Amino acid sequence: MKTWLTYHAQALRLVLSRFKKNKLSTFLICLSIGVTLALPSTAYIILDNLNGLVSNVKSESKLSVFLSENHDDALVTTIEQALKQNPAIHSVVFVSKEDALAQLAVIDANKALLDSLSNNPLPDAFFVEPKVLDATSIESLKNELSKLDGVETVLVDGAWIKRLNYLLQLGQKVLVLLASLLGFALIVVIGNTIRMQVLTQQAEIELSKLIGATNSFIRRPFLYLGALYGLGGGALALMMTWCIILYFNQTVSAIAATYQFNFSLQFLSAFYQSIMLAAAVLLGWLSAYFSLSLSDKHS
Amino acid sequence: MIVFDNVTKRYPASGDAISQVSFSIEAGELVYVTGHSGAGKSTLLKLMAAIERPTNGTVLINNQNVNKLKESTLPYIRRKFGLIFQDHKLLYDRNCFQNVALPLAINGITGQEAAKRIRAALDKVGLLNKEKAMPITLSGGEQQRLAIARAVVSKPSILIADEPTGNLDKNYAADILALFKAFQQVGVTVIIATHDALGQTNHENQASQQNKVLHLNQGRLSTSAHSEVSA
Repeated sequence: MKTWLTYHAQALRLVLSRFKKNKLSTFLICLSIGVTLALPSTAYIILDNLNGLVSNVKSESKLSVFLSENHDDALVTTIEQALKQNPAIHSVVFVSKEDALAQLAVIDANKALLDSLSNNPLPDAFFVEPKVLDATSIESLKNELSKLDGVETVLVDGAWIKRLNYLLQLGQKVLVLLASLLGFALIVVIGNTIRMQVLTQQAEIELSKLIGATNSFIRRPFLYLGALYGLGGGALALMMTWCIILYFNQTVSAIAATYQFNFSLQFLSAFYQSIMLAAAVLLGWLSAYFSLSLSDKHS
Repeated sequence: MIVFDNVTKRYPASGDAISQVSFSIEAGELVYVTGHSGAGKSTLLKLMAAIERPTNGTVLINNQNVNKLKESTLPYIRRKFGLIFQDHKLLYDRNCFQNVALPLAINGITGQEAAKRIRAALDKVGLLNKEKAMPITLSGGEQQRLAIARAVVSKPSILIADEPTGNLDKNYAADILALFKAFQQVGVTVIIATHDALGQTNHENQASQQNKVLHLNQGRLSTSAHSEVSA
């Protein structure tokens, strides 16, 4: 156990001393990793914030449940009960046809039109605010409500929410694709860097093998190298993303203000920051691992 | 300590480098491996140090059959040896101290304990005042001694040197040989390969009188040389 620790400490010290010796090239490698990681993480933050924004726009996503003509008050009560007991519904407001007509009549321009009508053409209606606001659950709620006895039609206000949701889904797909392509690019970049390092240390590796170094002794420093490149790149990516979000937010807040809206992009939570760092470290380690397996085969 | 029984080493491209060689080396012996260049000396040394495995026959190192050992255990066998290579194999990107540190690092020895042993090894070969020097600034003889310091720093029980005096003038060569003798006197088994023809130089006259000589001729042990062996 103690020797095991010694070996690891030794490999880590060796890598750190090499970093110290080649500060500039180490920084440049970390920077290229950082730029590659900053791109998908910025995209992730923007998408995540938009998602949050959409779920916040509650008032825009009501369902209007119009009742058929010729029903008695008992039916209205039954439907109201059913709606109030539905777990997917947040709140229900009943507007009778008389109330609706009165609301229309408030506006002067409508008065002449309404006066020409012999009877009230408006139906009784419930305005329903659902609990969950994504497109699929609103759709299923709509289907459920249209089956209720006495319900004529159900309209979903704000079809744009649906479209926006689809757009966000598309955005997520693009993000996944972008992240996997860039992740692949990272593996190649780090792997190639490690390979160059292996080549420059060929003499040492050969000698070490001759005088009794195990394979893991030889591989260990390179694996640490890959992991540390990942760590450095991940940290730089976080910094860059933070700057980008800060830069965007000046404009985003201004746009939101024109809608009387207080909104700005939120940076990653500490949890997601550590996940991102861990992913970068893992990616670096994996790249080194693949690269070493390849060079082993060729030597 | 090292036993060869009817050992043959064949390389796919160049045929038999060593054929049907049998001998044994006891602990504490000083053994010369002689023969013209291309006679198979280096191959013999590689077989002794478990760097190569025999094609046929058995090689026993400390009673362990090299052929039957797993690839992953070979490194641990190799650590029993101190190797001095024909081309030194010094690392020119680090100073003398760091060159000597490598075998200790492989054994997991670092820090104060390592520094103590590295300085002791450098002291033994007379390079203590050059610990910070880069190998490239050393003379040929000094580089050879640095290679020896690296070979002995992990206190191996067997020292194997391939042409240690090859490129050195006579004075330096005598120094180096004296160094090896000193190691033998404290109980280390020393095996030296040299291409000098037997009896040509002073030290090999001594060698044939006092030490075991394995004379190789086209991959075979020449019987005449073998008969000269006297403990």
